[in-house]
Amino acid sequence: MDSEPSPSREMTFSILGSAAPVLAPRVGTLALGGRQTIATPNLVPLTSRGAVPHISHDMVRKETAINSLYVGLEDFIERKHPAPLYNVPATANESPLRKFICAQDDATILLGPRRFPAIACPPNNTETSIAISTSVGFRQLEAHGYIEAIQKLKPDIAIGLADMVLGRPPGLKRRGKMVDRTHAYTRDALEHLYGESVAEKSKAKFFAPVLPLDNTQQSLYLDDLEGEFKDRIAGLALYESASLGYISEALGDLPRLLLSDPSSPHEVLREISLGADLLTVPFLQGCSDAGIALDFAFPVPAAVQARGEPQPLGLDLWSSEHAMDISPLVKGCECYACRNHHRAYFNHLLRAKEMAAWALLQMHNHHVIDRLMAGARDSIQRGTFEEDVKAFHRAYVANLPDRTGEGPRLRGYQMPAAGPHQPRRMPKVYGRLDDLSQKFAESQSSVATPDTDAEGLEKHGFAERI
Amino acid sequence: MQCSAALARLRPKLIPKALLVPTAAMSTAAEPVRKAMPSALTFDHHAKCSTTKARASTLHLPHGSVPLPIFMPVATQGSLKGLTYDQLRETGCMLCLNNTYHLGLKPGQEVLDAVGGAHKFQGWDRNLLTDSGGFQMVSLLKLATVTEEGVRFLSPHDGSPMYDSLPTSASVLHVGNLSQWLTTLRLLTPEHSISLQNSIGSDIIMQLDDVIATTSPDHARIKEAMDRSVRWLDRCIDAHKYPERQNLFCIIQGGLDLELRKQCCEEMVARDTPGIAIGGLSGGEAKEEFCKVVDTCTGLLPENKPRYVMGVGYPEDIVVAVALGADMFDCVWPTRTARFGNAIVDAGTLNLRHQKYATDFSPIDENCDCVCCRPTNQGGLGVTKAYIHHITAKETVGAHLLTQHNVHYMLKLMGSIRQAIMEDRYPAFLRKFFSNIYAGDKTKYPDWAVGALRGVGMDLLED
Repeated sequence: MDSEPSPSREMTFSILGSAAPVLAPRVGTLALGGRQTIATPNLVPLTSRGAVPHISHDMVRKETAINSLYVGLEDFIERKHPAPLYNVPATANESPLRKFICAQDDATILLGPRRFPAIACPPNNTETSIAISTSVGFRQLEAHGYIEAIQKLKPDIAIGLADMVLGRPPGLKRRGKMVDRTHAYTRDALEHLYGESVAEKSKAKFFAPVLPLDNTQQSLYLDDLEGEFKDRIAGLALYESASLGYISEALGDLPRLLLSDPSSPHEVLREISLGADLLTVPFLQGCSDAGIALDFAFPVPAAVQARGEPQPLGLDLWSSEHAMDISPLVKGCECYACRNHHRAYFNHLLRAKEMAAWALLQMHNHHVIDRLMAGARDSIQRGTFEEDVKAFHRAYVANLPDRTGEGPRLRGYQMPAAGPHQPRRMPKVYGRLDDLSQKFAESQSSVATPDTDAEGLEKHGFAERI
Repeated sequence: MQCSAALARLRPKLIPKALLVPTAAMSTAAEPVRKAMPSALTFDHHAKCSTTKARASTLHLPHGSVPLPIFMPVATQGSLKGLTYDQLRETGCMLCLNNTYHLGLKPGQEVLDAVGGAHKFQGWDRNLLTDSGGFQMVSLLKLATVTEEGVRFLSPHDGSPMYDSLPTSASVLHVGNLSQWLTTLRLLTPEHSISLQNSIGSDIIMQLDDVIATTSPDHARIKEAMDRSVRWLDRCIDAHKYPERQNLFCIIQGGLDLELRKQCCEEMVARDTPGIAIGGLSGGEAKEEFCKVVDTCTGLLPENKPRYVMGVGYPEDIVVAVALGADMFDCVWPTRTARFGNAIVDAGTLNLRHQKYATDFSPIDENCDCVCCRPTNQGGLGVTKAYIHHITAKETVGAHLLTQHNVHYMLKLMGSIRQAIMEDRYPAFLRKFFSNIYAGDKTKYPDWAVGALRGVGMDLLED
C-alpha cells in the first residue's frame, strides 16, 4: 500500500490472497481507525432511513454480525435545507450522521447520494446536480451540496456522485454526457474535500464511481482515476460486475465496492470471482419481505451434496406445508430466528401480517449471507474457490423461489412512482365485509337453517366436538 | 360432553325453545352442586395503602411470578408487534396477552395442539393470559349475533385465498356450500372458547362473556348479558379441562348499572374462580361511570384474589383504578400508539410526528432507562426524538423502537406504583403523577379522577 501521507492514511486495505490483481477472487481486510476490521469479500448491509430494515438497532448489535452500513443521503434531506441531521450536536470527531441514525461506534458507515437500489426519477440530472427521490417527492441534489454533506456528516467512506440513467439503457449521446459529468463531479469533490487550498481536509475516504459503461466509453475518466485522482481516492464504487473487468492493474490495490442487484447467490459468487470486495445483496431483504428463508451454504456441505438433485435456495414460509412444522428454518442454523422459533410460527406470523415475521427472517437471511461470505473467503484462501463454485452450481437450483405471499406495505420511496390511471398499489383491506353485512342480516333465517337435515350436517363434520 | 348435546348447541333448530329464549328462571338459582375449582396460582398479598384501596401483591403463576399491580402488553396474534421475545423480556414483562379469537382463526386449534400450546408456538417462556374472544365480537365484528348457545359470526379472514389453504380448525364450524357468498359461518360457544384456551395453554384463561357496549341504552339487554355471562361461566367451568395448570377467571358484567354489577359479583364470587375480572368497560363510557363500577365491584370481591380490569390502559386510568383496588390491566393502546409515533412519558403522550420534534435531539424520555432512551455510554442506543420523527410510520424499526419504550414505560410505571404502595405513600405518588401530567396546574386535573379518588378517601387537590 501507498505509505505516503494521503487522505486515505487511516484506512488500510490489505490483500491477503489473490491470484491476479484484477479479474480474480481475492481476500483482504479493510481496516479503518476505530472501526471493526472488515474481512473481504463481505456484505455491505443496506439501510433505509438509517435503519437496517426490520431489525431494530439493539437486535442488530446483539444478534447480527453487521459491521458496516450503506446509507443513502436522499433518505434524510426531504425538507428544506439544512436537514435536521446537519444540526445533530456532535463533537469535532463525531459523525453527526452516525449519531442521528444511532449506529454503533465501530460500524463503518458508507454514505452514498442515493438509497440502494435507487428508484428512477423522472427529473433529469444536470451538470451540477442529480435527481433524487425523497419520501416527500423528487428534488435535485446539488453536487456541492453533496460535498458539503460529506464534510459535515463525516461518514467513514463517501461514494462519489455519478450521473446515472436508471430504468433504461442510456442513449449514445447520453453516455458521453454521463462520463463528462461524473468526471467533473469527481474532480470537484476531490478538490473540495482534499485539495491543497482546503484548510480542514475531509477524513472521509472517497470511493470514486465507475460508470456501468464500456471501458472505451469512459477511458478518459478511468485514466484520470489512475493518474491525477489516484492519491485522493481510497476505493472504487462500481455499479455492475462487468466494470470489474475495466479496472487497470494500477488501481488494483483499491477496495472495490460493487453496488449491484444480483439475482441469486450464484451471481454473488460470480461477482466475488471477478474480484469484488464489498458487495450489496438486495435480494436478502427482498426474500425476507416475501417470507422466504434463504437456505444455502458455501462451500456446499457434504449432506447437501449427497442429496443428488439440485436443492432449492430458499424456503417459502407462506406455504401451508409449514403450518405445523416445528423444525427450525434451516437445521443446524445458529441465527437468532432458528435458535428460538420454528417454521409453523413463521407461517403464522406471515399470514397474520405480523412485523416479527420480517424481523426474524431478516436476521436469518443476514446470517445466511454472512456465512456465504465467510465460506467464500475461506475457499479463496484455500485456493479451491473455482471448484467450490462449480459444486455450488451443481448442488442448488439456479433461481430463488418465486414470491407467493404479500410483503410489508411498500412506501413511496421504495417503489417507482405510478403513472396516471394506475390501479391502486395495495388492495383495500378495510370494509371488506361491509356489503356482506346487509345480506347477512337479510338472510339470517337461511343461515341458521341450511338446506340440509341434521344428518347432512353431521356428515359435514358440523357438530363434531374436539 | 356428548356429541348430541354439542350438536344441539350448534344448531338453533335443534335446540329446545327454552334454551334459545332464556328466562330469569333459567338463571343460576337452581344450580346443582358446583364443580370444585382448583387453582393454579398463589396470590401473596404484601401491602395495602392505608388511605386508598390500592394493594401490592405477587401473583405466582405456572410460568413465573408477576408483581401486582401490573400492566400486560397485548401480543394479539402471538407476537408483540414486531418485537422479539428477548426484547419483551428486557422490558421486564412477566405476563402478556394473546387473543383467543385471533389464535383460533390463525393458526387454529389443530396447529396449536400439534405444536403443544401457545408458549411453544411463539417461543415465550413466561406467562400468557388469553381473553375468551367475547370482546372481539363487539369490537371487530359487525356480523355477530349472540344467542344462548354462543356467538355466531362470519369470519373476516375467510374469502382470502391465503386462508383457504390452511387446515381448518375443527373447533369452528364449517358450512362449505351454505350459499355462494357466505363461505364460512362460525360459532363460538363457551365450550369452544375454553377448549381453544386449553389448547393454547395460557396460564390465565377467561370465561366467554356476553359483551355489549356499556353505552347501550337497552337495559333489558344488559341484564340479559349479565345473566347469560353467569350461565356461560358455569359452562366454562364445566368445559375447563386443566384447572390444575390454567387459571380460569370469571368476568363481572352488568354494564354501568351498579345493582346488576352487585348481583353479578355475588353470583360469580360464589363460583370461586382463581381470579376475577371486571369486564365490559373501556367501551367509551364516561370515566366517572367507569370508576363507580370498578369501585363497587372491588368492594364486593374477596381480598385474596387478583382483580383484573379488562381493556384499561391509559396511565391516568390505571393509577386511579389501582387506587380503587384493581390489580391487573391490559390494553393495546401503548403498543398501538407507538406505531403511530406517540411516546408515553411522565408528562403525558408526545406525538413525535410533529414537526417540532424533527430537530429535537434529546432522548424520548430523559428519565427513562429503556434500551432506546439510555445513552450509548450506558449500553443504550441513544435514540433521539428527532430520529423517531424521521423513521416513525415509515420503517418498521421505528415501530419496534417506540413499542419497546412504551412497554418499558408502562411496566416501570407499574413498578413505581407498587413501590409506592409498599412504602405506603401511594397518595403522594398520585399527587406527583397528576402534577407531572398537568404541569402542576390543578385546575386542569380531570374531575372524574378527583371524584373517584375522593371516594376512596384521598383529596388529589390537597398539597
